[in-house]
Amino acid sequence: MASRKLGALLVLVGLALIAARPANAQSFQVQCPTSTITHPTAANSEPAYTGATTFATGAGGYLTPASHVNGAIKCQQISGGDGFATMGDGTQTYLFAFGPLSGLQDMANGLPGTEFPSVFNVPYGGTFKPGDPATADGASSIGPNPLSGFGYNGAVGLAPDRDCLADPTCAATIPASGINGHVDTRPIMDVGVMNGNIPAPLMVIDEDDEFFLTLTNVGQVMRPDLFEQHTVHFHGYPNASAFYDGVPDASVAINIGGSFTYYYLAPDAGTYFWHCHITPPEHLQMGMVGQIYVRPRQNRWSGDLYSGLTAQQGDLRTKCDSTDILCSNPLPAVNTGASGGGTYAYNDGDGTTRYDVEYPIQIHGFDPNFHFVGMTFNPEAFTDMKDKYFLLNGRSYPDTVTPGPLATQSTDGSLHYSQPLPAIINIPAGGRALLRIADLDVTEYQTLASLGIPMTVVGYNAKLLRDQSGNNLYYNTNSITLAGGESLDVILDACAVRASDGSCTTLMATGTYYLYTPNLDHLSNDAENFGGLMTEVHVCNSVVGTTFGNTCN
Amino acid sequence: MSATNMKIMIEKTRLTLLLVLALLLAAKAHAAAPGITGPTFNLVATPAFISQPDGATVYSWGYGCNGNPAGYAPAAITTGFCNTMQVPGPTLIVTQGQTVTVNLINQLPSAAGNTSILFPGFNVTTTGGVPGLLTQEAAHLGTVTYTFTASTPGTRAYYSGTQGDLQVEMGLYGAIIVLPSAIPGACTSGVHASNATARGSSSLAHPGVTEHDFRLAAAAYSHPGACYDREYLFQFSEMDPRIHREAEEQSTRTCTGCMSVATEPYVPAYFMINGRSMPDLMDPNYAPEYPHQPYNGNPHMHPGELTLLRVIGTTRWQHPFHEHGNHVRILARDGNLILSQTDPNSLAGPLLFTTTTTPGLAFDGIYYWTGKGLNWDPYGHNSASGSTLPCTPDPDGYNTGAPTAINYFEWCQDHNKPLQTAPFGDIAGGGPATLPDPNIFANGAWFGGSPYLGPDATVRAVGSTGTTPPSGTVANSPTDEAGFAFMWHSHNEREITTNNVFPGGMLMMMLVDSREFVIDESK
Repeated sequence: MASRKLGALLVLVGLALIAARPANAQSFQVQCPTSTITHPTAANSEPAYTGATTFATGAGGYLTPASHVNGAIKCQQISGGDGFATMGDGTQTYLFAFGPLSGLQDMANGLPGTEFPSVFNVPYGGTFKPGDPATADGASSIGPNPLSGFGYNGAVGLAPDRDCLADPTCAATIPASGINGHVDTRPIMDVGVMNGNIPAPLMVIDEDDEFFLTLTNVGQVMRPDLFEQHTVHFHGYPNASAFYDGVPDASVAINIGGSFTYYYLAPDAGTYFWHCHITPPEHLQMGMVGQIYVRPRQNRWSGDLYSGLTAQQGDLRTKCDSTDILCSNPLPAVNTGASGGGTYAYNDGDGTTRYDVEYPIQIHGFDPNFHFVGMTFNPEAFTDMKDKYFLLNGRSYPDTVTPGPLATQSTDGSLHYSQPLPAIINIPAGGRALLRIADLDVTEYQTLASLGIPMTVVGYNAKLLRDQSGNNLYYNTNSITLAGGESLDVILDACAVRASDGSCTTLMATGTYYLYTPNLDHLSNDAENFGGLMTEVHVCNSVVGTTFGNTCN
Repeated sequence: MSATNMKIMIEKTRLTLLLVLALLLAAKAHAAAPGITGPTFNLVATPAFISQPDGATVYSWGYGCNGNPAGYAPAAITTGFCNTMQVPGPTLIVTQGQTVTVNLINQLPSAAGNTSILFPGFNVTTTGGVPGLLTQEAAHLGTVTYTFTASTPGTRAYYSGTQGDLQVEMGLYGAIIVLPSAIPGACTSGVHASNATARGSSSLAHPGVTEHDFRLAAAAYSHPGACYDREYLFQFSEMDPRIHREAEEQSTRTCTGCMSVATEPYVPAYFMINGRSMPDLMDPNYAPEYPHQPYNGNPHMHPGELTLLRVIGTTRWQHPFHEHGNHVRILARDGNLILSQTDPNSLAGPLLFTTTTTPGLAFDGIYYWTGKGLNWDPYGHNSASGSTLPCTPDPDGYNTGAPTAINYFEWCQDHNKPLQTAPFGDIAGGGPATLPDPNIFANGAWFGGSPYLGPDATVRAVGSTGTTPPSGTVANSPTDEAGFAFMWHSHNEREITTNNVFPGGMLMMMLVDSREFVIDESK
């Protein structure tokens, strides 16, 4: 009996070794191929959309693109670990958190950390220090700090695979540069440990992109007893695979010291979000949630929009006619004749979701007791969970209107950019702002109201609001209510009178307007009775830049 | 080990034990929308104890059957029972146009006073009973009769109209399903007929074995947009154990209607779907260990099947029900189809990935999963190893022209397209993704054992044993089911706990099964 068990064990071990061979033997690694089946040539920019991709059966017995290759390859690396954030009342709050391990400079500027291969696959020329890029920027105090142009957006840790280069057989299989996803562990630990962000790093891709997201689990320094695994759940992705859905019960979870690369072809345009799915009531409350949104093809189409959406019907994957009960953007009932060249929330075919500036807005709530318990090795209670910090993009008012990244000193003695995203909404007078709102709260519903500028809801749960006959079901409101786990797209129109052709005949007065919660007890920062879920909307004479980090003139 | 660390260890051990126990019980349990048929229903309101996965038995009140019901549906489930008390109450299944009669006897403790049933959405006439605030009520040991015409199809809630803050909390709620009197031809032809063929014994995926039809009907409404191939009913509720404890303490008082239980402050600790919390939720319908909680939540479906979700909110709170894997098209709310203002043939309900449940509100929605757009073949087909399995796209891109094929309803654009750069086993290579050393993974209990769907693909992907070391995929056997498991749960994440312990509460796993796996909802 014992020998049979031993035999079975040896077989298992043998299988494990065989199974492991094709895989990269290194625990930390990144993946960002420069070309794939879907993008056969280097895809470092978004080509114009001129029609649906056509396919031909290739040697492998599967379809390969024959013409109209659309989209590009995008890559991102994130750490899973812990960190600290600064609340509106100055309290340092402990997080279980994801942090950026690519696009560090972009992230510090309030942009996504999603990069093309030509950016991602460039090793860092210098030496990383804990807290980078805040350390390199010379951050000196908790709170906002001036950026000094850190200047690097590649994958932290990326290094030539010198062992492979030294072996001629292996060297023949990788680029001469030795860049094959191999990483040096030390910079990953230097940058990634205690580098948690709230919200988790922003991800932005375009329809038709292939997205390679590498999660590197650096461990939780403050809670070594937990040996927590982490995952990424792409919340709302249609037709997801269980393997890449990030539910540990239904797939694999990533242990400390390991990297895992999630692979998705970008789904339909819309506002999604992502989060860790390990013990969700704990990991989400503790901060492991962020936004991912997908920009529509229509942004890359230059002709008239109705023709553009008609051309998209040639793509079986995304076509929308009455036979598919789960698609939301059939051709519009009315051909408005609108021409392209702008930016849009969805493939609307009529230009009705056009915007000038866009802002991801993430609603969240923190229970300070739970976060304290989470830091101090105590068993957690869930029935008593009560949020007392109410956050927009990880900040409470007045931090929401502070430009630039907020820095927090961590237990490693370094300042880290803990909250890179402000929540300042700048809109040019007469222009439109798209707010991509996601509620990441795990305890209760939250309402966000607009004081002065009407909200037009154009999308809900990452789908255009349109019936199967092509009638737009947009509605005007001054407040929206979301559950944790929902997203919604709102357009704020800074135009007082808009003519029938869409031009603005009377601008909205410049000045400051507000987004705030009418859940009045949520306008607080724990014991402080003024703050919480609130930010400013600035109607400007002009705006330079299309998202956070822009300037209002 | 410090005391606090020990506490954590105890908590973790408890959690693991809970999960293992869950898996032992959950194996092969499926769901459907079972209930009792009428059109005359003899119900009784009775106290009993319902069980929760933390070992608690909670004093509750529920509607049950006074004698055998006229019948059980769907016919393919033959194990049905209806005790004198159950939570939720019996699902009443009738057909549009029928005259429905509900006779209710009040066998609650005399201290509880009167009780009643409201049927929102129907024009009810009452016979007998005693006057109440909202309707005629049944006094202690008394009866009342409610009569109405099931005028329009759909899913609706029924619940107590007497002191609802206490009686609904205690469990006096249920569902009524009205089936349409006319089934549109589109629901029994075309792809729905092909789906039926694919369930039959001629399928090459399960030759000689017929997969039963567990639907109550082929359409939720008399509308071609309301066809479906499979259905599930989920009723959401939460429970504050203090209220139940106080009601139990006062239940022996001999006076009539004198019970006085404070229903505020409200601190629910149990978050239930169909009266059960995960993992009990995923045990079979009519499992003998739950005599008063007969209905489960354990959905399964094949790729491409339109799955009808009948969802009802009860008690007090809203719950954001998040369906992993795809969106849900909301067909109707409280039995009212949502149609385009310009074209009655077009649906106009929203597409949601988080479907809020609201007390007293029911919705019907359609969900499916096909794997469209993954950009890799989820079945791991490998043309390099001589596989010549055809995939012929229909106008929507699916292999629906071959209902008996093992890859019926495959998304053809990705047929044979590899995921992995250098896979192990008989799986196409040259794809974009490199999977790391499996030793840095922890495998989930519902992990099918490979990235691929179905036992055929999984066994080819990982070798003849069908297990990926390290193993641990006990709830979704790699050699038998190997489905794609998706979590369906409340996204107020603290509600996926049972009395402060994760996992629990409003959480279930939905499995998409390849055609080889025969879904048997009766188990």
